[in-house]
Amino acid sequence: MTTYIFMSISLEQSFVQQLKDNQNIIHKICRLYTNDGDAHKDLFQEVTIQLWNAYPKFRGDSKFSTWAYRVALNTAITLYRKSTRRIKTAEYEKHSFYIAQDDYNSDEEEQLKLMYKAVYQLNDIEKALVFMYLEDANYTEIAETLGISEVNARVKMNRIKGKLKKILNP
Amino acid sequence: MFMEELDLLKKDWNKANVFEQVSEAEIYKMLHKKSSSTVRWILIISILELLLWSGSSFLFNADDAFKKFDIANLSWYVMASNIVHYAIVIVFIILFYVNYRKISVVTSTKNLMKSILKTRKTVQYYIWYNLVVIALSFVLGIVLVFMLDPTISKLTENANFKYGFIIGFALIAALIIGIFWMLYKVIYGRLLKKLYQNYEELKKIDF
Repeated sequence: MTTYIFMSISLEQSFVQQLKDNQNIIHKICRLYTNDGDAHKDLFQEVTIQLWNAYPKFRGDSKFSTWAYRVALNTAITLYRKSTRRIKTAEYEKHSFYIAQDDYNSDEEEQLKLMYKAVYQLNDIEKALVFMYLEDANYTEIAETLGISEVNARVKMNRIKGKLKKILNP
Repeated sequence: MFMEELDLLKKDWNKANVFEQVSEAEIYKMLHKKSSSTVRWILIISILELLLWSGSSFLFNADDAFKKFDIANLSWYVMASNIVHYAIVIVFIILFYVNYRKISVVTSTKNLMKSILKTRKTVQYYIWYNLVVIALSFVLGIVLVFMLDPTISKLTENANFKYGFIIGFALIAALIIGIFWMLYKVIYGRLLKKLYQNYEELKKIDF
Protein backbone atom coordinates (compact mmCIF):
# COMPACT_ATOMS: atom_id res chain seq x y z
CA MET A 1 0.00 0.00 0.00
CA THR A 2 2.69 2.48 0.99
CA THR A 3 4.76 1.53 -2.04
CA TYR A 4 1.74 2.02 -4.21
CA ILE A 5 1.09 5.50 -2.84
CA PHE A 6 4.74 6.33 -3.11
CA MET A 7 4.80 5.19 -6.73
CA SER A 8 1.73 7.12 -7.71
CA ILE A 9 3.11 10.26 -6.12
CA SER A 10 6.36 9.94 -8.01
CA LEU A 11 4.39 9.24 -11.20
CA GLU A 12 2.49 12.45 -10.64
CA GLN A 13 5.68 14.31 -9.92
CA SER A 14 7.45 13.15 -13.04
CA PHE A 15 4.38 13.90 -15.14
CA VAL A 16 4.02 17.43 -13.81
CA GLN A 17 7.71 18.06 -14.28
CA GLN A 18 7.71 16.87 -17.90
CA LEU A 19 4.54 18.68 -18.75
CA LYS A 20 5.87 21.91 -17.28
CA ASP A 21 9.05 21.61 -19.33
CA ASN A 22 7.18 20.76 -22.53
CA GLN A 23 4.18 23.04 -22.16
CA ASN A 24 4.99 25.29 -25.08
CA ILE A 25 4.07 22.65 -27.63
CA ILE A 26 0.62 22.40 -26.05
CA HIS A 27 0.28 26.18 -25.91
CA LYS A 28 1.02 26.25 -29.63
CA ILE A 29 -1.84 23.86 -30.31
CA CYS A 30 -4.15 25.84 -28.05
CA ARG A 31 -3.24 29.00 -29.92
CA LEU A 32 -4.05 27.32 -33.23
CA TYR A 33 -7.41 25.90 -32.20
CA THR A 34 -8.86 28.64 -30.02
CA ASN A 35 -9.25 32.34 -30.49
CA ASP A 36 -9.32 33.84 -27.05
CA GLY A 37 -7.47 33.52 -23.79
CA ASP A 38 -10.23 31.76 -21.86
CA ALA A 39 -10.69 29.10 -24.52
CA HIS A 40 -6.93 28.67 -24.67
CA LYS A 41 -6.83 27.94 -20.92
CA ASP A 42 -9.86 25.69 -21.20
CA LEU A 43 -8.29 23.57 -23.94
CA PHE A 44 -4.95 23.50 -22.13
CA GLN A 45 -6.69 22.06 -19.09
CA GLU A 46 -8.55 19.41 -21.11
CA VAL A 47 -5.30 18.38 -22.82
CA THR A 48 -3.61 18.11 -19.43
CA ILE A 49 -6.37 15.83 -18.13
CA GLN A 50 -6.20 13.63 -21.24
CA LEU A 51 -2.39 13.45 -21.01
CA TRP A 52 -2.53 12.52 -17.34
CA ASN A 53 -5.08 9.76 -18.00
CA ALA A 54 -2.89 8.32 -20.74
CA TYR A 55 0.40 8.81 -18.89
CA PRO A 56 0.55 5.40 -17.12
CA LYS A 57 0.85 3.83 -20.57
CA PHE A 58 3.52 6.23 -21.78
CA ARG A 59 6.63 4.11 -22.06
CA GLY A 60 9.13 6.62 -23.27
CA ASP A 61 9.77 4.90 -26.60
CA SER A 62 8.89 8.23 -28.16
CA LYS A 63 9.81 11.67 -26.91
CA PHE A 64 7.46 13.15 -24.33
CA SER A 65 6.89 16.16 -26.55
CA THR A 66 5.91 14.03 -29.57
CA TRP A 67 3.60 11.91 -27.47
CA ALA A 68 2.11 15.04 -25.90
CA TYR A 69 1.40 16.83 -29.14
CA ARG A 70 -0.37 13.78 -30.56
CA VAL A 71 -2.66 13.61 -27.57
CA ALA A 72 -3.14 17.37 -27.70
CA LEU A 73 -4.07 17.30 -31.39
CA ASN A 74 -6.53 14.47 -30.80
CA THR A 75 -8.04 16.41 -27.95
CA ALA A 76 -8.34 19.61 -29.96
CA ILE A 77 -9.75 17.92 -33.06
CA THR A 78 -11.98 15.28 -31.55
CA LEU A 79 -12.57 15.47 -27.82
CA TYR A 80 -12.67 19.11 -26.93
CA ARG A 81 -16.04 20.73 -26.60
CA LYS A 82 -16.09 24.47 -26.63
CA SER A 83 -17.80 25.60 -23.49
CA THR A 84 -21.00 27.37 -24.44
CA ARG A 85 -20.88 29.82 -21.58
CA ARG A 86 -18.06 31.67 -23.19
CA ILE A 87 -18.72 34.97 -24.85
CA LYS A 88 -17.62 34.91 -28.42
CA THR A 89 -14.90 37.34 -29.21
CA ALA A 90 -15.33 38.04 -32.85
CA GLU A 91 -11.81 38.87 -33.89
CA TYR A 92 -8.45 37.31 -33.35
CA GLU A 93 -6.73 40.60 -32.74
CA LYS A 94 -7.04 40.50 -28.99
CA HIS A 95 -5.01 37.47 -27.95
CA SER A 96 -4.10 35.29 -30.78
CA PHE A 97 -0.80 36.49 -32.09
CA TYR A 98 1.29 36.66 -28.98
CA ILE A 99 3.89 38.46 -30.99
CA ALA A 100 6.80 39.60 -28.91
CA GLN A 101 7.20 43.17 -29.99
CA ASP A 102 10.95 43.41 -29.64
CA ASP A 103 12.75 42.63 -32.87
CA TYR A 104 10.18 43.08 -35.57
CA ASN A 105 10.02 45.62 -38.25
CA SER A 106 6.49 46.56 -39.07
CA ASP A 107 6.55 45.05 -42.56
CA GLU A 108 7.37 41.60 -41.24
CA GLU A 109 4.85 42.02 -38.49
CA GLU A 110 2.15 42.89 -40.97
CA GLN A 111 3.02 39.87 -43.10
CA LEU A 112 2.99 37.60 -40.08
CA LYS A 113 -0.40 38.86 -39.05
CA LEU A 114 -1.75 38.02 -42.48
CA MET A 115 -0.13 34.58 -42.35
CA TYR A 116 -1.68 33.76 -39.00
CA LYS A 117 -5.01 35.06 -40.16
CA ALA A 118 -4.83 32.78 -43.19
CA VAL A 119 -3.94 29.77 -41.02
CA TYR A 120 -6.95 30.49 -38.81
CA GLN A 121 -9.20 30.13 -41.83
CA LEU A 122 -8.19 26.49 -42.32
CA ASN A 123 -10.26 23.65 -40.91
CA ASP A 124 -9.23 21.52 -37.93
CA ILE A 125 -7.49 18.81 -39.93
CA GLU A 126 -5.63 21.29 -42.12
CA LYS A 127 -4.47 23.13 -39.01
CA ALA A 128 -3.05 19.86 -37.67
CA LEU A 129 -1.02 19.41 -40.85
CA VAL A 130 0.24 22.99 -40.69
CA PHE A 131 1.15 22.50 -37.05
CA MET A 132 3.24 19.44 -37.83
CA TYR A 133 4.84 21.21 -40.77
CA LEU A 134 5.86 24.08 -38.52
CA GLU A 135 7.20 21.58 -36.00
CA ASP A 136 9.30 19.93 -38.72
CA ALA A 137 7.60 16.57 -38.35
CA ASN A 138 8.38 14.18 -41.20
CA TYR A 139 5.67 12.69 -43.38
CA THR A 140 5.82 9.29 -41.70
CA GLU A 141 5.05 10.99 -38.42
CA ILE A 142 2.31 13.14 -39.90
CA ALA A 143 0.69 10.14 -41.57
CA GLU A 144 0.84 8.10 -38.36
CA THR A 145 -0.57 10.88 -36.23
CA LEU A 146 -3.61 11.45 -38.40
CA GLY A 147 -4.07 7.86 -39.53
CA ILE A 148 -3.73 8.55 -43.25
CA SER A 149 -1.23 7.33 -45.83
CA GLU A 150 2.07 9.11 -46.33
CA VAL A 151 1.31 9.86 -49.96
CA ASN A 152 -2.01 11.43 -49.09
CA ALA A 153 -0.40 13.45 -46.32
CA ARG A 154 2.05 14.88 -48.86
CA VAL A 155 -0.69 15.63 -51.37
CA LYS A 156 -2.79 17.34 -48.73
CA MET A 157 0.13 19.39 -47.45
CA ASN A 158 0.77 20.76 -50.92
CA ARG A 159 -2.89 21.61 -51.30
CA ILE A 160 -2.88 23.45 -48.00
CA LYS A 161 0.13 25.49 -49.06
CA GLY A 162 -1.75 26.32 -52.24
CA LYS A 163 -4.79 27.28 -50.25
CA LEU A 164 -2.79 29.55 -47.94
CA LYS A 165 -1.15 31.19 -50.91
CA LYS A 166 -4.52 31.86 -52.43
CA ILE A 167 -5.86 33.37 -49.22
CA LEU A 168 -2.82 35.64 -49.01
CA ASN A 169 -2.73 36.68 -52.65
CA PRO A 170 -6.26 36.47 -53.92
CA MET B 1 7.71 34.95 -52.35
CA PHE B 2 5.31 32.60 -50.66
CA MET B 3 8.11 30.39 -49.34
CA GLU B 4 9.60 33.46 -47.68
CA GLU B 5 6.34 34.04 -45.90
CA LEU B 6 6.26 30.44 -44.76
CA ASP B 7 9.80 30.71 -43.45
CA LEU B 8 8.87 33.86 -41.62
CA LEU B 9 5.97 32.07 -40.02
CA LYS B 10 8.18 29.17 -39.03
CA LYS B 11 10.71 31.48 -37.47
CA ASP B 12 8.06 33.20 -35.44
CA TRP B 13 6.44 29.90 -34.55
CA ASN B 14 9.59 28.58 -32.92
CA LYS B 15 10.22 31.61 -30.78
CA ALA B 16 10.51 30.64 -27.18
CA ASN B 17 8.74 32.30 -24.29
CA VAL B 18 5.78 33.85 -26.01
CA PHE B 19 3.34 31.99 -23.81
CA GLU B 20 2.44 32.72 -20.26
CA GLN B 21 3.92 29.73 -18.45
CA VAL B 22 1.74 27.44 -16.36
CA SER B 23 3.29 26.64 -12.98
CA GLU B 24 3.65 23.19 -11.42
CA ALA B 25 1.06 24.06 -8.80
CA GLU B 26 -1.43 24.95 -11.51
CA ILE B 27 -0.76 21.67 -13.33
CA TYR B 28 -1.35 19.73 -10.10
CA LYS B 29 -4.65 21.49 -9.73
CA MET B 30 -5.65 20.62 -13.29
CA LEU B 31 -4.97 16.92 -12.75
CA HIS B 32 -7.85 16.72 -10.34
CA LYS B 33 -10.37 18.50 -12.52
CA LYS B 34 -13.04 16.59 -14.42
CA SER B 35 -12.73 16.21 -18.16
CA SER B 36 -15.42 17.84 -20.25
CA SER B 37 -14.63 15.86 -23.39
CA THR B 38 -17.09 14.49 -25.90
CA VAL B 39 -16.23 10.95 -24.82
CA ARG B 40 -17.15 11.65 -21.23
CA TRP B 41 -20.50 13.10 -22.30
CA ILE B 42 -21.17 10.12 -24.53
CA LEU B 43 -20.42 7.82 -21.60
CA ILE B 44 -22.82 9.67 -19.30
CA ILE B 45 -25.62 9.87 -21.86
CA SER B 46 -25.13 6.25 -22.89
CA ILE B 47 -25.34 4.95 -19.33
CA LEU B 48 -28.53 6.95 -18.82
CA GLU B 49 -29.93 5.47 -22.01
CA LEU B 50 -29.00 1.93 -21.10
CA LEU B 51 -30.73 2.38 -17.74
CA LEU B 52 -33.77 4.13 -19.16
CA TRP B 53 -34.38 1.61 -21.88
CA SER B 54 -33.82 -1.33 -19.56
CA GLY B 55 -36.45 0.26 -17.34
CA SER B 56 -38.79 0.80 -20.24
CA SER B 57 -39.27 -2.91 -20.78
CA PHE B 58 -41.03 -2.97 -17.41
CA LEU B 59 -43.42 -0.28 -18.54
CA PHE B 60 -44.43 -1.72 -21.84
CA ASN B 61 -44.79 -5.40 -21.81
CA ALA B 62 -47.29 -7.97 -22.71
CA ASP B 63 -46.83 -10.03 -19.56
CA ASP B 64 -49.77 -8.38 -17.82
CA ALA B 65 -52.05 -9.16 -20.70
CA PHE B 66 -50.92 -12.76 -20.58
CA LYS B 67 -51.51 -12.91 -16.86
CA LYS B 68 -54.84 -11.18 -17.06
CA PHE B 69 -56.19 -13.64 -19.52
CA ASP B 70 -54.42 -16.53 -17.90
CA ILE B 71 -53.20 -18.24 -20.99
CA ALA B 72 -51.31 -21.10 -19.51
CA ASN B 73 -49.77 -22.42 -22.65
CA LEU B 74 -48.29 -19.01 -23.46
CA SER B 75 -46.47 -18.48 -20.20
CA TRP B 76 -43.60 -20.68 -21.29
CA TYR B 77 -43.15 -18.44 -24.32
CA VAL B 78 -43.15 -15.38 -22.15
CA MET B 79 -40.46 -16.75 -19.90
CA ALA B 80 -38.27 -17.83 -22.81
CA SER B 81 -38.61 -14.48 -24.53
CA ASN B 82 -37.73 -12.68 -21.29
CA ILE B 83 -34.58 -14.75 -20.90
CA VAL B 84 -33.57 -14.01 -24.49
CA HIS B 85 -34.32 -10.31 -23.98
CA TYR B 86 -32.14 -9.99 -20.90
CA ALA B 87 -29.36 -11.99 -22.51
CA ILE B 88 -29.41 -9.55 -25.42
CA VAL B 89 -29.40 -6.58 -23.06
CA ILE B 90 -26.35 -7.98 -21.27
CA VAL B 91 -24.55 -8.58 -24.55
CA PHE B 92 -25.22 -4.97 -25.54
CA ILE B 93 -23.86 -3.66 -22.25
CA ILE B 94 -20.72 -5.79 -22.58
CA LEU B 95 -20.24 -4.62 -26.18
CA PHE B 96 -20.67 -1.03 -25.10
CA TYR B 97 -18.10 -1.44 -22.33
CA VAL B 98 -15.57 -3.15 -24.61
CA ASN B 99 -15.95 -0.48 -27.28
CA TYR B 100 -15.74 2.30 -24.73
CA ARG B 101 -12.51 0.89 -23.28
CA LYS B 102 -11.01 0.78 -26.75
CA ILE B 103 -11.25 4.54 -27.12
CA SER B 104 -7.69 5.73 -26.79
CA VAL B 105 -6.45 9.25 -27.11
CA VAL B 106 -3.01 7.93 -27.96
CA THR B 107 -3.84 6.32 -31.32
CA SER B 108 -4.16 8.15 -34.62
CA THR B 109 -6.87 10.75 -35.06
CA LYS B 110 -8.73 8.55 -37.51
CA ASN B 111 -8.74 5.55 -35.16
CA LEU B 112 -9.87 7.68 -32.26
CA MET B 113 -12.81 9.00 -34.26
CA LYS B 114 -13.69 5.53 -35.49
CA SER B 115 -13.72 4.06 -32.00
CA ILE B 116 -15.90 6.87 -30.66
CA LEU B 117 -18.38 6.43 -33.49
CA LYS B 118 -18.41 2.68 -32.92
CA THR B 119 -19.21 3.10 -29.23
CA ARG B 120 -21.95 5.51 -30.11
CA LYS B 121 -23.34 3.06 -32.68
CA THR B 122 -23.61 0.32 -30.06
CA VAL B 123 -25.98 2.46 -28.05
CA GLN B 124 -27.91 3.38 -31.16
CA TYR B 125 -28.45 -0.27 -32.05
CA TYR B 126 -29.48 -0.93 -28.48
CA ILE B 127 -32.17 1.69 -28.76
CA TRP B 128 -33.41 0.36 -32.08
CA TYR B 129 -33.58 -3.08 -30.57
CA ASN B 130 -35.64 -1.76 -27.68
CA LEU B 131 -37.99 0.14 -29.94
CA VAL B 132 -38.64 -3.03 -31.90
CA VAL B 133 -39.27 -5.00 -28.71
CA ILE B 134 -41.63 -2.33 -27.45
CA ALA B 135 -43.49 -2.23 -30.75
CA LEU B 136 -43.83 -6.01 -30.77
CA SER B 137 -45.08 -6.13 -27.17
CA PHE B 138 -47.49 -3.35 -27.96
CA VAL B 139 -48.92 -5.12 -31.00
CA LEU B 140 -49.10 -8.40 -29.14
CA GLY B 141 -50.89 -6.71 -26.25
CA ILE B 142 -53.42 -5.10 -28.54
CA VAL B 143 -54.07 -8.30 -30.42
CA LEU B 144 -54.65 -10.14 -27.18
CA VAL B 145 -57.00 -7.46 -25.89
CA PHE B 146 -58.94 -7.56 -29.13
CA MET B 147 -59.20 -11.30 -29.06
CA LEU B 148 -59.86 -11.88 -25.43
CA ASP B 149 -61.38 -8.86 -23.69
CA PRO B 150 -65.15 -9.33 -23.95
CA THR B 151 -66.15 -5.63 -23.87
CA ILE B 152 -63.64 -4.57 -26.49
CA SER B 153 -64.25 -7.48 -28.79
CA LYS B 154 -67.95 -6.59 -28.69
CA LEU B 155 -67.16 -2.97 -29.59
CA THR B 156 -64.88 -3.94 -32.43
CA GLU B 157 -67.54 -5.98 -34.14
CA ASN B 158 -68.15 -2.65 -35.81
CA ALA B 159 -65.45 -2.66 -38.51
CA ASN B 160 -65.12 1.14 -38.68
CA PHE B 161 -64.48 1.35 -35.00
CA LYS B 162 -61.93 -1.42 -35.23
CA TYR B 163 -59.90 0.27 -37.95
CA GLY B 164 -60.18 3.62 -36.21
CA PHE B 165 -58.78 2.02 -33.12
CA ILE B 166 -55.83 0.50 -34.99
CA ILE B 167 -55.05 3.68 -36.92
CA GLY B 168 -55.24 5.69 -33.71
CA PHE B 169 -52.70 3.43 -32.07
CA ALA B 170 -50.42 3.53 -35.07
CA LEU B 171 -50.47 7.34 -35.06
CA ILE B 172 -49.65 7.53 -31.38
CA ALA B 173 -46.77 5.09 -31.86
CA ALA B 174 -45.45 7.09 -34.83
CA LEU B 175 -45.65 10.30 -32.81
CA ILE B 176 -43.71 8.81 -29.92
CA ILE B 177 -40.98 7.48 -32.22
CA GLY B 178 -40.87 10.85 -33.99
CA ILE B 179 -40.31 12.68 -30.72
CA PHE B 180 -37.50 10.32 -29.75
CA TRP B 181 -35.90 10.75 -33.13
CA MET B 182 -35.95 14.54 -32.81
CA LEU B 183 -34.51 14.36 -29.32
CA TYR B 184 -31.70 12.22 -30.62
CA LYS B 185 -30.92 14.53 -33.48
CA VAL B 186 -30.65 17.43 -31.06
CA ILE B 187 -28.58 15.72 -28.36
CA TYR B 188 -26.13 13.82 -30.52
CA GLY B 189 -26.20 16.35 -33.31
CA ARG B 190 -24.79 18.92 -30.90
CA LEU B 191 -22.34 16.52 -29.34
CA LEU B 192 -20.94 14.95 -32.47
CA LYS B 193 -21.24 17.64 -35.13
CA LYS B 194 -17.59 18.60 -34.98
CA LEU B 195 -16.48 14.97 -34.89
CA TYR B 196 -18.49 14.09 -37.99
CA GLN B 197 -17.21 17.15 -39.84
CA ASN B 198 -13.59 16.35 -39.09
CA TYR B 199 -14.09 12.67 -39.85
CA GLU B 200 -15.48 13.55 -43.27
CA GLU B 201 -12.53 15.85 -43.82
CA LEU B 202 -10.09 13.02 -43.05
CA LYS B 203 -11.95 10.67 -45.34
CA LYS B 204 -11.68 13.25 -48.11
CA ILE B 205 -7.89 13.25 -47.74
CA ASP B 206 -7.52 9.50 -47.49
CA PHE B 207 -9.69 8.28 -50.30
